[in-house]
Amino acid sequence: MRFSDSFYNRVLITLALIISTALTSFASIHEGGDVAKGEQLFNANCASCHKITNEVLAAPGLGGVDQRWAGKDALLVKWIQNPQAAAATGDAYIKQLVATNVPLFGWMAGQAVTEAEIKDILTYVKTPPAGAAGGAAASAVNECQTLEELKAAAEENEESDGFIWFVIIGVIFTIIAVSAANISRSLKNAMNEREGLPAEVEHSYWYNVKTWMWTNKTFVSIIGVFLVCYFVVVGYSSLMDIAVYEGYTPTQPVWFSHSIHVCQNEVDCQYCHSSAAKSKHAGIPSVNVCMNCHKGINKGAITGEKEINKIYAAIGFDPTTKQYIENYEEKPIEWNRVHNLPDHVYFNHSQHVTVGNIDCKQCHGPVEKYTVGHQATIEEVNAQDPAEVPGLIKLTKPTLTMGWCLECHNKSQVDLTSSEYYEEMHNRFKATGLGQRTIRDIMEDGEITVREMGGWECGKCHY
Amino acid sequence: MGMNKKYWTGLDELNNTPAFQEAISNEFSNTERVEDFLSNDKLKETNTGRRDFLKFMGFSVAAATLAACETPVVKSIPYVVKPEEITPGIANYYASTYYDGNDYGNILVKTREGRPIFIKGNKGLGLAKGNIGARINASVIGLYDSARLKGPKKGGSDITWTDLDNEVKGALASARNIRIVSNTIISPTTQRAINEFSTKYAGKVKHVQYDAISYNGITKANLASFGKAVVPSYDFGKAEVIVSIAADFLGTWLTPAMYQIGYSEGRDVDNGKMSKHFQLESVMSLTGSNSDERIPIKPSQEGKVAAAIYASITGSTEKVEGVNEVVFNKMITALKGAAGKSLVVAGSNDPNVQLIVNAINQSLGNYGKTIDINNPITLYRGNDADMLALVDEMNGGAVDALIVYGANPSYSWYQSDKFNTGLSKVKTSISFNGFADETASRCTYMAPDHHYLESWNDFSFINGRIDLAQPTITPLYNTRQAQESMLRWSDNGSSYYDYMRTTHNGSYTSPMMATDSSWNMAVHNGTFAATVAAAPEATAPTPPATPTPTLNVAAAISAVKAIKAGTWEVALYEKITVGNGNQANNPYLQETPDPITKVTWDNYITMSPLDAKEFGYNVNLGQESAATVAKVTVNGKEMTLPVFPAPGQKRGTIGIALGFGRGAGNEEIGSAAYQIGEYGEHMLVDDKRVPIGKNAFAMATMVDGVPVYAGYSASVDITEEEYYLATTQMQNTVMGRDSVVKETTFATFMAEKDKKKGTATYNMVPALVVHEDINKDGVINAQDKKPTSEIDLWADHPVEGVGHRWGLTIDLTSCLGCGACITACHTENNVPVVGKEEVLKHRDMHWLRIDRYFSSDFATVEETSEKKDLGTIAAYRDMENAAENPRTVHMPMMCQHCNHAPCETVCPVAATVHSNEGLNNMAYNRCIGTRYCANNCPYKVRRFNWFNYVTNDKFSNFNPSQGEMTRMVLNPDVTVRTRGVMEKCSMCQQRIQEGKLEAKKAGVPVPDGSIQTACAEACPTNAIVFGDLNDQASLNTKRSKNVRSYHALEEVGIQPNVFYMTKIRNIEETEA
Repeated sequence: MRFSDSFYNRVLITLALIISTALTSFASIHEGGDVAKGEQLFNANCASCHKITNEVLAAPGLGGVDQRWAGKDALLVKWIQNPQAAAATGDAYIKQLVATNVPLFGWMAGQAVTEAEIKDILTYVKTPPAGAAGGAAASAVNECQTLEELKAAAEENEESDGFIWFVIIGVIFTIIAVSAANISRSLKNAMNEREGLPAEVEHSYWYNVKTWMWTNKTFVSIIGVFLVCYFVVVGYSSLMDIAVYEGYTPTQPVWFSHSIHVCQNEVDCQYCHSSAAKSKHAGIPSVNVCMNCHKGINKGAITGEKEINKIYAAIGFDPTTKQYIENYEEKPIEWNRVHNLPDHVYFNHSQHVTVGNIDCKQCHGPVEKYTVGHQATIEEVNAQDPAEVPGLIKLTKPTLTMGWCLECHNKSQVDLTSSEYYEEMHNRFKATGLGQRTIRDIMEDGEITVREMGGWECGKCHY
Repeated sequence: MGMNKKYWTGLDELNNTPAFQEAISNEFSNTERVEDFLSNDKLKETNTGRRDFLKFMGFSVAAATLAACETPVVKSIPYVVKPEEITPGIANYYASTYYDGNDYGNILVKTREGRPIFIKGNKGLGLAKGNIGARINASVIGLYDSARLKGPKKGGSDITWTDLDNEVKGALASARNIRIVSNTIISPTTQRAINEFSTKYAGKVKHVQYDAISYNGITKANLASFGKAVVPSYDFGKAEVIVSIAADFLGTWLTPAMYQIGYSEGRDVDNGKMSKHFQLESVMSLTGSNSDERIPIKPSQEGKVAAAIYASITGSTEKVEGVNEVVFNKMITALKGAAGKSLVVAGSNDPNVQLIVNAINQSLGNYGKTIDINNPITLYRGNDADMLALVDEMNGGAVDALIVYGANPSYSWYQSDKFNTGLSKVKTSISFNGFADETASRCTYMAPDHHYLESWNDFSFINGRIDLAQPTITPLYNTRQAQESMLRWSDNGSSYYDYMRTTHNGSYTSPMMATDSSWNMAVHNGTFAATVAAAPEATAPTPPATPTPTLNVAAAISAVKAIKAGTWEVALYEKITVGNGNQANNPYLQETPDPITKVTWDNYITMSPLDAKEFGYNVNLGQESAATVAKVTVNGKEMTLPVFPAPGQKRGTIGIALGFGRGAGNEEIGSAAYQIGEYGEHMLVDDKRVPIGKNAFAMATMVDGVPVYAGYSASVDITEEEYYLATTQMQNTVMGRDSVVKETTFATFMAEKDKKKGTATYNMVPALVVHEDINKDGVINAQDKKPTSEIDLWADHPVEGVGHRWGLTIDLTSCLGCGACITACHTENNVPVVGKEEVLKHRDMHWLRIDRYFSSDFATVEETSEKKDLGTIAAYRDMENAAENPRTVHMPMMCQHCNHAPCETVCPVAATVHSNEGLNNMAYNRCIGTRYCANNCPYKVRRFNWFNYVTNDKFSNFNPSQGEMTRMVLNPDVTVRTRGVMEKCSMCQQRIQEGKLEAKKAGVPVPDGSIQTACAEACPTNAIVFGDLNDQASLNTKRSKNVRSYHALEEVGIQPNVFYMTKIRNIEETEA
């Protein structure tokens, strides 16, 4: 009896435990939230460091978080909202988490999310909707360049300047041709000498060319006319190309792939180019921004450690110890500027990004397909899918030329109801009325373009 | 009628000088005739033939074209670790404080990517309400000056700080006595460091404070009257009658930044307020030019006038010989009627004069009303007697160690030679000065201090408030804050910042700033209220509740009456631009014209044109006509300087500016401080660079142990030499063209205050005679006039009601002519500094100038021809000359942004076009430099880039855009213009665009006042106001509709967006 008693007890206890675990897990924070809301929240707050799979981005992936934290809902909420405070509770699992991850990734900043929101997020993490996030990531990878393509691009980056070989080969050929001619003449002279004929009068090459040209007048004139036409056309078009740098893709000290970051890892443009919304410069990210993720990620899919080590060398980070080197003399990375506007042009990113709400791709093209920075050609810009670039305006002039600016300013419209600023402008137009010529010019066609708001005035960009 | 007017190109033509006759007979002078050139035999010997020349030219064109095809590789180097507060492309502003021993200002430092590029006033803060003036504004360039000391030095060679500390400490320990000489110290923590130093070397240290420009006369007089050696606070705003005896309180006297604000508050005509201002002085000062009534007097008469005023208001009548009696009596009546509401100040540093002035103010009951002796300012507490004693002590070989902090006695002490001799007898001398200047270069050790933009500091300008200075850039060179050096030598290892924190966290005084948050807030604000100021001097006497002055002025009166008048007297004055000379190497300040004479880059003798003519000096100065050089002897000291004929100068007196002649020993004080030759090289005499102007400090007269900046007995002799003076304005008067400057009396203005704009008698809408029967009298004649607003030559381009319409309104009544706007514009817009040679050729590039017009004896040609019995031409000629004691008007003039701009219609390439926002845009890259626009501009505000100022060697010694370091000061939002293009005021387009963008980003209409042009922002008196004229509620719109508002040259009908407001003078109608 004793035995059976204890056996029954154990069975009962086990059953109770199983049931209770099942019950708690059923009512856990990892389920029952709003997935759509969770996805939104996840993208806004978590996605820059965490993935919903086991993959490590700038911090451990969240795949299986429901199992790791099973039964510790309250603690998990605390951990998310205030990691240090959670660690202070002395929980063993947290202790172990802190010990393994904090040296690697640093402390997570406390997140300003409520418990209900955490529930939404964790529900999304556990049960992402099919075709979304995880699925989307997979499909995005499919749309992105394949690793092979990227590798090929990486090899291309290894400088190989073909032009110099052309020149060298050209010089060699010329030398060969000249010496062959000399040899043939010497042979002929030798022949003449043997045959007792007088040596051939030595003419200059130029004389020979002239003689040849004289004997072939018609041919030379036709060729001449053709050449003149050719040079005029080529000359004109090359003059028109002065200061047009479409497609400019300078080599860079670090083989940075936009494709990997933007397309595969879905990093938002403004995560790195953060001043685009605030300032005239979009800004090249400083190394400390790179380190937000690359403190954890120290091996690239294509170039391995080679390129990532360059940023470590810049900031002084030892990837083996995962520590910053103290008193390290920082070595700034000298990027080659891709988009060069002349000095007399004032361009402001924030005007276009924040006020005008222009998509980055309207000017920069399919950045997700680039490796190192590249000045989009107008064809690349126009070839984009308008569904992916909201409000894409197709233009004809080469990018970064004044014609291109003006064309766009002429085509893009200003929504006078978009802010109080424009409403005030609109009110002034209305108050003055169509009786005035300037207002009439602006208002008569029923649409107000950037040009009509002053976007074609010299002083808006040149001062 | 109307066609018999004749205009002159300048005084040269008017007076038909021989030089001018020669010039017109040879219009293309200095050029060889073409035939002569071609027939020159030597031409054939040259190696470069015509064909070669053409080949070279062809090659250059091809090369240039090819070079243009190549893609330029531009590096872009981001931060490795970006400071959190910096966003590239966005400016950060830091509140800080400027104090150089003389000027004081609460400032905001604009930095871009960590570089300070612009200094503006911290509006509303401090007693001067954030008004800073030209000198502080321009001081930013000093940070980048390549002549700054780059590390500690011993006897001219570099030394490490450790070695220097060890050697200095050794020397100090063994010294019998140590003397510290400095400007007035107003920093509590600096004083604390000095105290700690004095404790460390107990019994040996004595600290001597003296000011380059001494106000010791005032403090001595106040000590005698009130028992307090202080400079009181003056409130010019509360004074209804202001009498200034040679005190240039709007320009240079004490703290003009404060007084300018008060003065203009007391002259707020639109609110029916206008003080009456009398000025008695020898040299026409900025203050004198703004006064309502001005009486020219000799320097020796300053005391006598004060005595006469004192006598007159206390019962008896007294007059001073040679002083305009009518005006003097008017002044006495006004003063008597404004007891307790008046203010009498004197510029003289003679304690006797100041004593009498104290008595006058006491008799008028002004203490406690317009003068506050209980809340004095802490500046200018220098004691010249101490300095005199120190110099004697040094010469006696009794000083073992001397520390010089901030001061430059080898230059500014009136007996600098004696000081230098004494200095050579001092065993160990140490200078903290940032440059190897006159004093520092003579010291054993140079321990250079940080620039003020690299330093922490605290200043107590007035009891109850401490202003903070914070570094805005990491020190550029291996310099060390002076206070820190002092601490090291006192064996205190603390950094100056930590030391300063402990001053305010309770361990030294009350715990005002004990927490980091309150401290950070104070640093952010640039100031904090200190209930108890850390008293700079422990021995400061407790002030009595109410002042009980000793009015025993009999001795003072007899002393001033005993001063004998000389045939020639010298008045030494300060220029608002160069001041006491400590920024003599500042090209912005050197190029800013003097507000009265409009001379740049020089000091000179000012002399009444009548005197000058009488003695045979040249009175028609110009590009081809040099000034005569005269030799002045005063107090046994000789000096030769060019003579400038200055209207308003008292006859029998001359004026010489202080602050010039810096670097007379070829010291390394900055390349802009020396005279530049024709090709940009430094002028050399005996292999030494020649300083700009002459040092006049030595000419001061010692009275009761303080230097008085005057010489009572001088002689002036003509010399054979000539010297070119570069002025930006040669014409003196408007010659009766009242459509440029409009003015009226206060009484007339008040009588017509409620009239509508364009109907007041002094400001009618101009009308032109037209060939149309306007008045319907059946005949077409001169009475048929049409208002210019109805006549138009140009196609309509209305900007009213279309979005924004930017404009300026400029109040000529409150404009003082101080020139703060000029330097602000200069630094904001990357305006090139062109140097004296180019200014002389009238190629100055200032986008904003201040036209100064003197009145002539009669207002109109008709009046002149009638009263003086002259023909019309002779009458015009007569009107070119300013009156002997003229009234003055200052008129800021910049591009007027005409809606019907004459410049736009003549541009062949449409490089200058109008915007719908009312701006006249200038596209530099489109301009081909025909200069038609400049010729067609009635305001002459367009500037042509004659050179590539950025690369041309001619400008390398002073143009900030040429120095490796100084170019850092350029505004990255404004294009640096190249050779061959026109430029002009853009109304700070970059600021307008920035302000609009901020509003758009915030999604709100542009708030009125949120955008400020550099000039409007710098204006101490709000004379210049910028705003949106399409915003019906804006201040600018209201001002543009004011009854006083008009357009300059309105009859031309070009509809500018800049409005002027009639100048009001508080004078009687009969005097107008």
